This record gives sequence, C-alpha cells and structure tokens, in this order.
Amino acid sequence: MNQDFDAFVTAALFEKDGRAVFALGDGTVRFETGETVEAHPDAAILCAARHPSGQGVITGGDDGRVVWSKADGAVELAALTGRWIDAVDASAESGLIAFAAGKQVEVLDAKDSLFRRVFAHERSVAGLAFEPKGRKLACATYNGCAVWFARIAEQKPTVLKWAGSHLGVTWSPDARFLISSMQENMLHGWRIADAKDMRMSGYGAKPKSLAFLGGGKLLATSGAAGAVVWQFVGNNGPMGQQAAEIGHRDGTLVTRVAGAPDKLVLVAGTTDGRVWAAELNTTRQTTMREGGAAISALAVSPKGDRAAWGDEDGGAGVVPL
Amino acid sequence: MSDTAAAKATSPIPVTVLTGYLGAGKTTLLNRILSEDHGKRYAVIVNEFGEIGIDNDLVVGADEEVFEMNNGCVCCTVRGDLIRVLGGLMKRKGGFDAIVVETTGLADPGPVAQTFFMDDEVKARTRLDSVTTVVDALHVIERMADSREAREQIAFADQIILNKTDLVSEAQLAAVEARLRRLNPLAPIHRAQRANVPLETVLGRNGFDLDRIVDLQPEFLNPEHGQPGHVHDEHCGHAHDHGHDHDHHHHDHDHGARGHAHAEAEDIRGVSLSMETPIDGAKFTRWIDQLLAEKGPDILRAKGILDIKGEDKRLVFQAVHMILEGELQREWKPEEKRWSRAVFIGRDLDEAALRAGFEACAA
Repeated sequence: MNQDFDAFVTAALFEKDGRAVFALGDGTVRFETGETVEAHPDAAILCAARHPSGQGVITGGDDGRVVWSKADGAVELAALTGRWIDAVDASAESGLIAFAAGKQVEVLDAKDSLFRRVFAHERSVAGLAFEPKGRKLACATYNGCAVWFARIAEQKPTVLKWAGSHLGVTWSPDARFLISSMQENMLHGWRIADAKDMRMSGYGAKPKSLAFLGGGKLLATSGAAGAVVWQFVGNNGPMGQQAAEIGHRDGTLVTRVAGAPDKLVLVAGTTDGRVWAAELNTTRQTTMREGGAAISALAVSPKGDRAAWGDEDGGAGVVPL
Repeated sequence: MSDTAAAKATSPIPVTVLTGYLGAGKTTLLNRILSEDHGKRYAVIVNEFGEIGIDNDLVVGADEEVFEMNNGCVCCTVRGDLIRVLGGLMKRKGGFDAIVVETTGLADPGPVAQTFFMDDEVKARTRLDSVTTVVDALHVIERMADSREAREQIAFADQIILNKTDLVSEAQLAAVEARLRRLNPLAPIHRAQRANVPLETVLGRNGFDLDRIVDLQPEFLNPEHGQPGHVHDEHCGHAHDHGHDHDHHHHDHDHGARGHAHAEAEDIRGVSLSMETPIDGAKFTRWIDQLLAEKGPDILRAKGILDIKGEDKRLVFQAVHMILEGELQREWKPEEKRWSRAVFIGRDLDEAALRAGFEACAA
C-alpha cells in the first residue's frame, strides 16, 4: 500500500491484529483499510499510541484533546482547553493511558472512565513511557526523568537526575534500564537498580527514535548517518561498549527506527526519504522506499512481518519485511 | 510532492520575536498586526492567553522555559518551550507564512535568539527574522534605569518600536532616542502611537541574514554630537536632510533625561569600530574567535562589514553571544569606499581593548 495523505504523518502504528494506522497533522486518523476518522477537527495530531485494547489509536492534539480512534469512529478521552497534548503512551498490560500537557501528566484507565490521576512536574514533560508491566510511568522532563506509580494518587516520584533537557524516554523490555533522548544529541540511561548513569554520545543529531530489538539485547536509535545499535547484555548494559552503526550514508540522517521486539530485523527511515530494513545477524540490507520527504513515522507490525512508514509531506506506505 | 510542499520544505518560516516590558504596547502591536487585512496565515506564540484572538491565525500559549545545556554554557541556553511548540507547528497542515513569538517583559532575548541557531531542527525549518522591541516614550528611561531585562531587550533588538510618542514632547522624544541609540546603535527606531506601525515594518526584517547586512549606518559609527570624537561630516548633513536636529537632541538630552541616564548603571552599550586600512583575514578570525570565547556571554549582538586584504568581496559577520556567522558577501563596487566597520553591543565592554584588538587586525 502507498498513499499520499497530504499532511505531516505524525505517527504510524499497528493494531494488535496487524492493521496499519496513521495519525496526521491534519487531525485525521487513517486506517490501512481505507477508513478516515476526524479525530481532531481543525487541529494537528502531535502524538499517538496504540490503545491498550490493541484496537485503534489514542492521539493527542494541539486542540488539547485526547481521542481514541477506531475504524468506526472517535471517542474523546480528555480535553484540556487551550493546551497542547505533547506526549501520549498506553499499556496493554495494565490498561492505563497517560498523556502530557505542559507540566502536567494525567493517567486514565481504559476500563474505568472515572479513574484519573494527575501528576505535576516543575517543568514541561516532553516524553512518556510505561514500564513493560504498565505499573510505573516514566516522564522525561528538564534535568531528568520522574518515575511514578501510575495508579497511586498521592506520592512523590522517584527522580532520575541528569542535567539537561530530556525529550523522550524508553524502558528496556526487562525494565532494568531507562533510556532517555536528550536535547544535546545524546542518550542518557539509568540502571534502575542503582540509578547508575550511562552516557551514550557521539550522535550528529538528536536521537529521538529508539527501539529495542532481539529480545531486548539490542537498542537501535536514530540520530546519525546510519542506525546506531547498542548492545544490552549482562549487568552493565551498553556501559563500556562501542555502538555499531549500520546503513551509513553520508549527508543523510536516520530519523526513525523500528523493529519487532523479539526479532533481529531493524527498519530505518531517513531524512532523504528512504526506508530500509536490515537483518542484524546477516547484515543483509533491503531498501523499500527511496526518494521523497523525510521519514517522520515508522512502525513494525506485532508479528514483525510488515512495516508502516510515513513522511513529512504525507507520503505513507505499508511494506512486507 | 506538491508545489506548496516543495516550497515549504525549502524556505524556512520567518519568526519575529516581540519583546518589551509590561505596558510598553506589545499586545497592542500584536493585535494591530494581526487585525490588518494581510491575507496571510500567522501563528502567534504568547506567554499568556486572553488578550489576543484573530480569525485564521493560530495562537499558542507557551511557558518561558529556558534550558541550559549539560555543559552549563550560558551561550548554549535555549527556550525549550519554543523548540517544542515550533516542532508541533511544523506538523500543522498548510504551514504558516510567519510566526510571531511574544515574550514576557522579564524575558532574556538571548536564549530565544539562540534557539534558532542552536537547535538543528528549529534551524532547518524556521529562521529568526528579527528581535523587535517595543518601548514606550513615557516610561522607557525609567525602565532602563531599574530593569536589566529592559536594557537587554533594547540592546538586543534589530529594531525598536518607540510607542506612545504622543505622551511626551518632541524634546523628550529626542532625548529618549539618544539614550536608546547609546544602548543599541544598530537598531532603527520607529516612532509610533498606539503601536501604529505598518505590518511590513515589523515583519520581514531579515535581521539575522548576512546578505542583508548592507550597511552599518554611518551616523551611528560617528560618536554622537557633543560627545568626544564627533566629526561633523557629510553624514550629519545626511541626517539633517531627514529632519533630525542633532544639536537640539544634544541640549535637551543634557538637561532632560541625562540625570536618569547617569544614575543608572551604564552596563550595556554599543561600541562602534572602524578602520581604513585593510584587514588581515586570518588575524581577524583569531581575534573574533578569542573575543567571543572570552567575552561571548557579555556580547549580546555584533555586526560588521570588513575590507579584507587581497579579497574582492566584503566579509560580513554577525554574532549573538558566542554564535558567530560570517561569509564573503558581494564584491566591493568600484565607486564604493573600501573600509571596515563593526559594532559590538554588550555588557561592560572595554572599548579601548576592543579598539586595540580590532586595529591590531590591520594587514
């Protein structure tokens, strides 16, 4: 499938059953099967995550609304008038949904419409991630990440500190490491057990897109002329190890990476509009799309058999791996 | 790719930063600009909602969040909220013709401007068009005396809107303009009442575009009338032709606002340098690099046009704190006088040292 949506593709995702969904800068959610949902009329979608049920996507818009779109329609989950929803995440394991609006993070329960938790931060939250079991929520903010128990109302978060602005955050699949991408072209990581700091630097751009692969033993990232792959083995994770760079091409940057968690296939999108896949055990590389605007969205299906991509001008597609 | 998309991808969206202390008239100016029948699509980033709301334009609220980088360097501070909001605006369908950022009266313009040079994504999609500062003729002298932020916003500006000129006499106005010029010899001053400046005066200044450094106004390079070293040359005549009466400025200035001016710490000011001898390019590069490395935090803005020995083109440069941009611009014209001039605006500038350093760059 190849499409021209004529609007910035904010996110590409797959539903649990493998259908691709695209969230766009014109406020619509488009399903691979042809349905269009007007999730945020006259607004732009800024962030998206798969709904805990595995069906449809949750989007946050610059209209301050959080919306669950399924192929048959949209449901508003929250609305903060005059605000922007900067980040959203959801956990199939716990059924929780979290979104960030400025300094405030709210947690909703997909199965309990009365449930609502509000977590205040001193500075804006730019990224969110539920830990793999969905009970804890990491919030990337200025000078570190705050980790909250997502269901508890009154609490002080555990703050993992590191000076600078943290933009995005990801847990390792075994929940032993928390990795954040920073404003200054580097990743920062913490080993949860002892809050030991890990610095992962050497990037030419902000490494905003992170994906764990190979059963959690590899972390692929964007932010360089090729995809950067760090090894997470043993107690120390990537500490003391060199990263590998694959698919390097001068003059371009990898903007997005994706992969199925337990496979060794890495998919990457670049500033010059390429989408390529690499088998990390054989180093075989296949280009699946070439030319066009910078890739802004990328996802791999739960089975690892297909990839969905979108670009800044609205080009989008689904390709077999 | 459609034509509009191609245009969007290749031409960065101009951003105008509007600064000024509370009550100077920023919001009035903004409303005025936006309510003009301009047929354009603007996005406005404000620090508080409520007073602005124009059809067809998008108004976004943002907290002024200054982000220091991990290395702790003040010259690397950026506005995190702007990075986030600009990133979000780029996702909007159709794009924008221009973006206006309104800051609070307490905002430091440095991090705002630096955001457009330091952040690669912001830099790729937008360009800083100007820092425009609104002051009001009645209170600006007082504000300059009691507020460091007010002084810095004036010193940093690419242009100054001198508002509420109807509330003071012509003599007071002249005194105010002279004070503003001492802080910022580069920025043109536009007089206004109820912020009635035309849209094209405010937007589309190309204040940070090296190609637009056409001239550094000669009269600003000449010390002011009545000050040591002032030369009554053809530039005075030029200025007089435009209806400015420098002698009166001078007298009113002395008897009027001068008392205030001296009471306040004259920590920020502009220093103008010029040289007839051609400059050794390598020497100049070494000097400016070292100067900005050492004094960058105190240098708000700098601009220059240089005559480099052995080079047919003019070397132009501009700097914001430690961020320096320079390029060989157009060729000197045959009839054009080849000389070098530079203006530094900053805190606690050592004029003698600056002059000595600059002159030591002579080839």
